[in-house]
Amino acid sequence: MYPARINLIRTRSTKIGLILLSLLAASCSVPTINTDQYQGEITTEQASDGPVVELHRLAISALNQKQYDRSVNYLQRAIKIEPRNAHSWHYLAQSYWHKKNYLQCLDMIERSYSYSKVEDDLDRANDALKTQCLAG
Amino acid sequence: MATKPPSKTNTKLRSKVRAKVKHPQTQSKPGHSKSKKSASIQKNSRSQHYSFKRYLFGFIALSLIAFSAYLYFLNHLINQRFDGDTWALPSRIYARPLELYTGMSLNQESLKFELELSTYQRVRYRPKPGQYRLLNQSIDLYTQDFEYSDSVEPGRLVNIKFVGDKVTGIKDLVSNKPLKLHRLPPAIIGSYHPQNGEDRLLLASDRIPEQLQKILIAVEDKQFFSHFGINPVSIVRALIANVRAGKTVQGGSTLTQQLAKNLFLTAERSLLRKINEAFIALLLEARFSKQTILAAYINEVFLLQQNRIAIHGFELASQRLFKLPIEQLSTDKLALLVGMVKGPSSYNPIAHPVAALTRRNLVLRVMRDEKLIDPTEYAHLTKQPLGTVKRLPGVNPFPAYVDLVKRQLKSSYSSSELSAKGLRIFTPFDPLVQRALHTGLKNGLLRFGQPNLQSAVVIADYLNGDIQALTGDSQVDYPGFNRAVMAQRPIGSLIKPLLLYSLLDGNRSLATPANDKEINIKQSDGNVWTPKNYDRQFHGKMTLYQAFVKSYNLPFVNFGVEGGLEALVKNLERIDLLKHEVVYPSILLGTSAMSALEVAQMFQVIANNGYFTPLTTIRQVSDKDNRVLDRMPLKSQKIFNQAQMIQVQRAMVGVVEEGTAKYLNTRFKGQTLAGKTGTTNDARDSWFSGFSDRLLGVVWLGNDDNKPINLTGSSGALRVWADIMTQQKIKPFKISRDAALEWRYINRNNGGLTKQHCANSVLLPFIKSQIPTTRSACE
Repeated sequence: MYPARINLIRTRSTKIGLILLSLLAASCSVPTINTDQYQGEITTEQASDGPVVELHRLAISALNQKQYDRSVNYLQRAIKIEPRNAHSWHYLAQSYWHKKNYLQCLDMIERSYSYSKVEDDLDRANDALKTQCLAG
Repeated sequence: MATKPPSKTNTKLRSKVRAKVKHPQTQSKPGHSKSKKSASIQKNSRSQHYSFKRYLFGFIALSLIAFSAYLYFLNHLINQRFDGDTWALPSRIYARPLELYTGMSLNQESLKFELELSTYQRVRYRPKPGQYRLLNQSIDLYTQDFEYSDSVEPGRLVNIKFVGDKVTGIKDLVSNKPLKLHRLPPAIIGSYHPQNGEDRLLLASDRIPEQLQKILIAVEDKQFFSHFGINPVSIVRALIANVRAGKTVQGGSTLTQQLAKNLFLTAERSLLRKINEAFIALLLEARFSKQTILAAYINEVFLLQQNRIAIHGFELASQRLFKLPIEQLSTDKLALLVGMVKGPSSYNPIAHPVAALTRRNLVLRVMRDEKLIDPTEYAHLTKQPLGTVKRLPGVNPFPAYVDLVKRQLKSSYSSSELSAKGLRIFTPFDPLVQRALHTGLKNGLLRFGQPNLQSAVVIADYLNGDIQALTGDSQVDYPGFNRAVMAQRPIGSLIKPLLLYSLLDGNRSLATPANDKEINIKQSDGNVWTPKNYDRQFHGKMTLYQAFVKSYNLPFVNFGVEGGLEALVKNLERIDLLKHEVVYPSILLGTSAMSALEVAQMFQVIANNGYFTPLTTIRQVSDKDNRVLDRMPLKSQKIFNQAQMIQVQRAMVGVVEEGTAKYLNTRFKGQTLAGKTGTTNDARDSWFSGFSDRLLGVVWLGNDDNKPINLTGSSGALRVWADIMTQQKIKPFKISRDAALEWRYINRNNGGLTKQHCANSVLLPFIKSQIPTTRSACE
């Protein structure tokens, strides 16, 4: 019994050892690389009381009132404050779609994509708008 | 047959002939000679009388016709002036409006600078519109209404709080509520002046302060509301006074006459001019209300000379001398301006403060005598200082930037439109960035001890294409040759980032082996080109990354002949920077000349992940009634591959970390920055282009006569760039995340995969299919 037990233990410890070793090897072959030193997070700051959100609110209100030049102005101001905000670029694309400037609309969607993190809603909205701009 | 109408000569002849025909009849009847003689004399005299009358009537009729024609002509002049644009209005060039919001990077001193530039007046009490008060770690500010094309930003009394370099709160001091956003009206940074050199700001009738009208009338024309354009009593009185004095001591002109002279006539002293003036004044009074005439006078009158610019009208004079709109002037200041009407040069309060003070007090005395102020007020007001600025603000403090604005406008607007239609030109000019440029450049140039060293600098926001600051001369306020736009100089190694992008287009990565070996290229003209490294050494095998950060020339020329040249030419064409139809291989080393502005455009695309956004100095042009004539919307066109461009950016970060721009590490400790140095043959041109989180700066140094400056990109332009950006408090550059890229440590010498702690390891991005497969031994 004893040797058998030892064998069992040996087998188990060998297995565990093998698993640990393989994990170690795996971790060596695909090292976790911290690229924070160089890479920035995309800021889609949506603080509810921030100036950019206030400008978005004004732009959407102008869009609803069919004042497209005004909405463009608000969004350009928002982009000047926070140029990497994917939402600003998306709303700007919307404004151009309303103005029937489909080329500008597509260009603005491209910028929105480039700044969107994995934001399914925004990406879906961009996809839908892109289809409409292409159709235009 | 058509007969001619009798002319004046014909009539004369006919009467003579008639007289001759009658004479023989009188001679043929001698018996009645006496009575006939007298009858004949009578007849003759009647005939003469009749002729005289006819002459007189003719003369009067002709005079009336001539006079009518004269009046018609004068009236036509008045129509021309008043029916169209009465005055040629200069176009104004505005800086960007400053958006104030909680959390923004701005300190108290910077806001003070902005306010001073926008001609706000510093006060110690609660501010009124156009004024501000400095408090401990905050500013109370009363902004003025500003009309944008789409809305009016109402003037507000606000408090802005600071902690260090951050705005920590904005509060409306009237409603006592916090504000999310407040836009500061933009400062005027330049103007297009009419050919006649006049500058004015129009003041609408309803904005003219009543007090100003009263003072003006009391001093210049007491009977303004009762006369009909001319005042005979006043003319006689002036005539007597002048005869007594033996020289001109008193004028008899009414305000209407003065307006007539200013608008239509010259200052020539002649009887004819006086007659013209009187008739025009009469016509003006017949056609326009007193209020219209007064408003025209207030806008027309010449008040101040500033260099070559003549400042007309009370509004602009008020803003230049007191930094305040006319409505906000106190009585003593209004009195000073009215006093200056008599002699804008003699009573200029900056050049001749004593004379101006005496004149102002004289006006105040007239006001007291006319009971516009009481004696106590008079006593108080005469004790007040003049209260003007010590020095008039510069007419063109940012000549290079304004020059570029004008160049960009010329394609769409004629000179006459720009100088007379009162257009409003909105630019992204950032006074704070320009100030940093001025200070940094001045400090930077001092270190070289070369008094003739010239420079050009462009600073832009590469994410939206705004050119925020620019200078085209080492003496930043000198309005001469704009080198940032006009000077075309070889760019040296500044071509390498785009060349690197072109090389990465194929199967190359930053880890691709590069060969720093000699190469001879036979050119189309038969000459052989033998490029060299700057240090004239060969460095053997290395990675493309290493070749780039050390700015070695030969690996790039070697790659160039393997297809890199064609790709570079194609990419230069895509950003409209290919200058020559015939391309020589030497373009690989930046022999192609560009201006600093063009270099900035090239690096804008590189810094912005391959998105081309045209660099611009104009955002919008409106007419004087705020109707938008032109919008220059934010444009962004994806023309280069983002993943590929990110690899170029990483290599440019390497230039700062360990390459030719390593100096920045000591100046901006811990901050990731990207850049590239450039030096041309014999160190004639020194270039540096670098970027942070948003700002792109391009610096060029060189001599106008192209003599060597003995400065490399690293020892010259780079230092100046650092001096400028230190003033600016830049934020670090962060490379965008891109799903197509994976990051690996490689050995910078042989390109093999390695580990972080191993010698010569460097972390670089790779397109998945191009990740190196070989491993490097860890030393």
